[in-house]
This record gives sequence, structure tokens and C-alpha cells, in this order.
Amino acid sequence: MATSPAPQLRTSFFRQALITSGLFVLGLIVVNFIFFKPGTVAVVLLSGLYQGLLFFLVAAGMSIVFGLLDVLNLAQGSFFMLGAYSGFAIYGALPEGTPVEIRFIAALIGATLVGGGLGALTEAILLRPLYARPVFQIVLTFGLSTVIVEVVRALYGPAGLVPIEKPAALDTTFSVLGGQFETYRVFIIVVGFVLMVSISLLLQRTRLGIVIRAGVQDSQMVQALGINIRRIFTLVFALGTAVAALGGMTAAPFLGAYPSMGGDFLLTAIIVIVIGGMSSYEGTAIASVLVGLTRATTEQISLQYFNTPILASISILIFMVVVLLVRPTGLFGRE
Amino acid sequence: MTSTPRYNGIINLAALATFALIPYVLAALTGQPDPNLTGLARWHSAAESVYCEKGLTPTGVILMVETTLFAAALLVTQWTQGATRLGAMGNALKQDGGYMLALLVLIVIPFVIAWGTDSSICIRGKAFFWESVFIDVFVLAILAISYNLMFGFSGVVSFGHAAFFGMGAYSVGLLMHHLAWPWWLAVIGSLLIGVVIALVKGVIGLRIKGLYFALFTLAFAQVFYLLAGNRLLTDITGAEDGFTFAVPDWLNATKNRLFFYYLALVIFVLAFFLVRRLMNSPTGKVLSALRDNESRAQMLGYNVFHFKLIAIVLAGLLATGAGVLRGIVLKGASPEVLSLSYTFDPLLMTIIGGQGTFAGPVIGAFGLHLIEETLRDTVLTIGGVEIKIGERWALILGVMFILIVLVFPYGIVGTWRLQWQKWKAAQRK
Repeated sequence: MATSPAPQLRTSFFRQALITSGLFVLGLIVVNFIFFKPGTVAVVLLSGLYQGLLFFLVAAGMSIVFGLLDVLNLAQGSFFMLGAYSGFAIYGALPEGTPVEIRFIAALIGATLVGGGLGALTEAILLRPLYARPVFQIVLTFGLSTVIVEVVRALYGPAGLVPIEKPAALDTTFSVLGGQFETYRVFIIVVGFVLMVSISLLLQRTRLGIVIRAGVQDSQMVQALGINIRRIFTLVFALGTAVAALGGMTAAPFLGAYPSMGGDFLLTAIIVIVIGGMSSYEGTAIASVLVGLTRATTEQISLQYFNTPILASISILIFMVVVLLVRPTGLFGRE
Repeated sequence: MTSTPRYNGIINLAALATFALIPYVLAALTGQPDPNLTGLARWHSAAESVYCEKGLTPTGVILMVETTLFAAALLVTQWTQGATRLGAMGNALKQDGGYMLALLVLIVIPFVIAWGTDSSICIRGKAFFWESVFIDVFVLAILAISYNLMFGFSGVVSFGHAAFFGMGAYSVGLLMHHLAWPWWLAVIGSLLIGVVIALVKGVIGLRIKGLYFALFTLAFAQVFYLLAGNRLLTDITGAEDGFTFAVPDWLNATKNRLFFYYLALVIFVLAFFLVRRLMNSPTGKVLSALRDNESRAQMLGYNVFHFKLIAIVLAGLLATGAGVLRGIVLKGASPEVLSLSYTFDPLLMTIIGGQGTFAGPVIGAFGLHLIEETLRDTVLTIGGVEIKIGERWALILGVMFILIVLVFPYGIVGTWRLQWQKWKAAQRK
């Protein structure tokens, strides 16, 4: 277990990383204005935020779980995918004539519960025996993600499902600076920010949050103080998968659901938490926005000049490599 | 003692090569040569006329008899104190006998399958098909051995092995197809490209510690995957469809499959013994020390960076070699060879067989691939639900991942070794 740096040191490098991130965002905005018309800039920035917050929903759980349990959960993407599919299942299970709004809200709650429940089971049954062997935990979560993806593929077919119906209020577009943008994507941004802030409040302002943060620092010490750290582990793991499933369900009316969607989001989520500094929640939150904006900007640039979105994936990989070379523990990671 | 143990491997290999060649020479002497050919080709056509027959050929019989004799000799040295009496040969048998017997079995297998299924080993049929399955197994085994060198022996966890494998297949094809290089130059060039990739990965990546390094390698490999499948490079790589290229006739696995079978077998055996030699050398000991206790090894004055770099470059070279072989077998490459499954398959093979053991990854590769091929067309019916094994193979692999990790953590070889040691300890009491 790493010892925590002195408080003063922590704030100083924290501020440094914060300033760097701020400058990076400013730079991206400038790049946007150089390359695109104002209408496109607004759309690109908004879609960057939208992508970033979806990545955040997958990455948040991974980051906290990694900090507390030292487990890199490669199955997190499958929980995202499961969220989308359980949304479909709930839409289908509700009786004919139920208003879309009620279906939608029921699906959001249902997906969260499914994600949380399965996450708790995963931690309790599969991961608990393996805390002494970290590499094997990664291998196990990889196996688990294969199993989830394949079971879904066997049940629903490999093709994927068309996006589910959105509530009418969200099924509109609006214009910013001359560019068109879907209201539903703004809804995703709002959901993402609400969760980002509430998880942060949970970590900073509640007793549970104190225990979790202490556990990230030194879980054995927390246990020695008489707290059942095992139960906290299960709770945190379930919380992470619940958030991911909720994210999947929020994306379902927009992206639909297909078996490999988890894998797509997982890779980017891994990049996000590495850039943010594996176990730092603030780092993950900020890095997800950075990655989303970088992706959206480079995607637009490469669509404009090469007619293919190739740069979107490659730019964030390069971003990650550069960050690791400058700071081997990520932007906000502890040395 | 007539010989030091270090030559035992060579003695055995030489004996085995003679063993394997005797039937061929006999076939060449007794067969009907093609009158239009001259020189070596005439000899070869004579041999072919004998061993290409359907079912049990004289060549096959001789090989089977040899294998049985070898197995008997092995049992004698294991059960009696024959090693000292038989001299150098006995010592060699005692040390490496198991491996040698396995190798001999692999030499015989095409003939045995031809005998069992009454098909020819040279024309389309059961035996012909299984030769290609075994060629795939050898390629995967080399990949698993290479993964084990990093993961099992040196403790360098990497999720980017597919980059080496895929780039091997791609570069050998691209060099032969677009630059019209001869095959040998293309192979050397591809291996050099593999070394360069390994050096870049190592020099940049090793600044980063632990899990960060593993994720770095994942991203690094993903770049190649994305580039290979991208439309921008359609003219060069054929984007998502991949591309095909021509190989010389003698390297053509469809026309000359038995030869290719033995070629792949030889390369696989060389890779196996190369890694074994390395791990028994002082360098190998340092690599294991890094895995067991990195900071201690550093305190003792070993340059951690250098030794890890050696492991990465050698593993990269082997994996690239496997990829080159794969490219030549398929006479083409597509983004699939760069995909994540070529990172996680060798990982699974390594932990199934037993990480940090010599035979483990090989057993894992043979077991997994042969089971998959055998069960491909099987349909299981459980509680009225039909399960086609071939379609659900990924699911079975996932379940296997979980079960192995939970209940069988040291793999087949590791668990067996542990039980053996326990049993021996109990005997001593």
C-alpha cells in the first residue's frame, strides 16, 4: 500500500494537473475554432461532452473499484451492455399501452438494479477468493465479460437491437449557433453530470465515503479499525456496475444495443482511467471529459479531411501514451 | 559419466532426426520414381509414391515401431537404474525422454491418422485436414510459449501480444506482395520489424510500472488493429477484408502440406528449446528473480530495465515468428490476426497449462485447439436446448477462464507438480 503524500504536496500537484487539464481544454476549443465554423464547433463540443460523460459512467466504477480493491474490472463494459439490454427487456415486459415516459423511467431504475445486483454477486462469488492474486482477477473479469457477451449473443442474436423509444419531451432537436443537436444527448450529459457530482458528494461528504477513501489509502488499516471492509468492497463494486448499467440504459435510446458495445466502451474507459491516474476519482471525472472532447474534435477533423473517423480512436491512444510518458502514474495519480 | 548433461539435448535431437529420416530414406529407395524428374526431385517423388498411399504405409509402420521401441527404452531407463549403464544415451533419455517421446509421437501422428481413417496424407481427406489443424496448433503453441516467457517466467504482464503476432503475418505478406521480396528476405525483414516493435514497446513502455504497463501494451496493440482495418489503407492492407499473397510452391501449405507440417513442427521445437535454454542460462535465472522479487534483484545490482527488455524482445521475436508462419499458412492476413483474441488466447493457454513451466503453455495450446476442432460439429442437448459447440466456443472459453482461475490456479502442469511433490514428501516419511 502506498503511503499518502503530505497534504501540501498533494494539493500542489493536484492544482498543477488541474491547470494542465484546463489549458488542454482551452487548446482543444481553439483548435475547434481554427478548423470549423461556429455552428460545428458547438456541436463538436457538445458531442464531446456527451461522449465523455458516457465514458465516465463506465470508467467511474472501474476507477473506484481499482482504488479500493486493486481489481481492474474488465467486465465493466459488459455491465454497460447489460444495462442497455435490460432496458429493452423492461420495455418489452411492461403491458401494452404503458406511456413511454413510465417505461423509460422503469427501464432506468430496472437497469440500475440489474447492474448493481449482478455486480454484488460477481464480487461476492467470483472475486472474493482471489484477492491474494491480482493478475488472476483481471483474467477472471475478462472471462466473465466473454461469458456475459456470449450469453447475450445466444439469447438475443448477434445483430443487435434498434434503439428503444425515447420520451417525447426528449425526442427533439435544437439549434446552437446554427448547428443542430439532439435534446436526448443533452439529457445524457445532464445525467452524467448529476451522477458525477453525486458520486463525488458521496465520497466527500458521507460516512461511507470516508470509509471508501480511507480504504483506497490502506484497506487493512480500515479493517483493523473494526469496519467490515468486505461488505464495503461488495457495495462499491455493485455501485460501480450499477452506474455502468445505468449508463448503458441511458445510451440505449440513442445507440441501440449490440453485444460488442461493451467492448468498445471498455477500451476507451480504460484509457480514461489510465490518463486520470488509475485510482483517482477526480482524475477519472476530468479525464473522461478530456478524452470525450479530444475524440469528438479529432473525429470531426478526420471526417472532414480523410472521410473516415480513424483519428478519433488513434488520437486518444496517443493521448494516453503521451500522458504516461510525462507522468507514468497518470494526470492525477499518486506517485 | 561419459557426457555432461548440457549435451544431452543435442544427442537426443540427433538420434531423433536419424530415427525420423530412416523411413524416408527407405521409402525413397523402394518407391517408384517419376521418370521425368532428375536428381533430388526424383528421389523425393520415389519416397512420395510410398508414403502417399492410403491407409497404413510402410513408412508409417516403421515410424510406429520406432516410437514403440523408444517408449520401451524410456520406460526401462525410468524404472531401472539403467541410466548409468546405458551411458550418455541413457542420461539423455532420463533427462529429456518425455519430451523426445512426445516429439516422436508428433512425427508419427499424420501416418497414424491416415491409418485410422484410411486416407492419404498427401491428398484432400481426413489425415490431410488434421495436418492443417496441427499446423495451427504448432503456431499457437509458439505464441503461447512466447507469452509464457514474458508472463510466466519474467513476470512482465502484457496485454499486447497480438501486435507481434498480427504484425508478423502482415509484414511478411506486405513485403512479399508489394515489395516483391523473396520469401527469406521477407521473413528476416518481418522478424526485424518484430524486434523494432518490441524495442519501441520496451524502451517507451518500461518507464511505466505494473498494470500501467499492461494497459499501455493493450493500447499499443490496438493502434495496429485499428490501422490495419482502416479504409484509408485499403490499397495496401485491404482494410477489413485483409489481403492475400502468393508464396513459393514448396512453402504452400495447401500443396505441400506434409512438408509444412514438419516445418512448423521443427520451428515449434526450436522455439521450445530456445526458451528452455534461455531460462536455464544465467540470464534466465535473473529473469525469474525479477518475477519473484524485483526490488531485491535491483538491490543485487541487476539492471531491471535491460533484463526486462531482453524478455520483451525475445518474446516479441517468437510471437512475430508465429505470426509469420500463420501468414504463410493462410497465404494472407486480415485484421483478425491483430485482434485481442490473440492476446487472450495465449494467456488462457498459459494459465491452463501452468504459467512459468516449460510444458504448460504447449499443453494448453494443444488441449484448447484440439478440443475445439474435435467438438466443432458436436451438438449437445441439455434440457431441450440445443447447443452447437462450434458456435458457442467463445462462451466455453469464457467459462473455462473463470473455472481455471478459481479452482485450478497453477494450471495442469503446476498442479501436477505440486501433487507429485506432496506425494514424494509423504513417501519419504
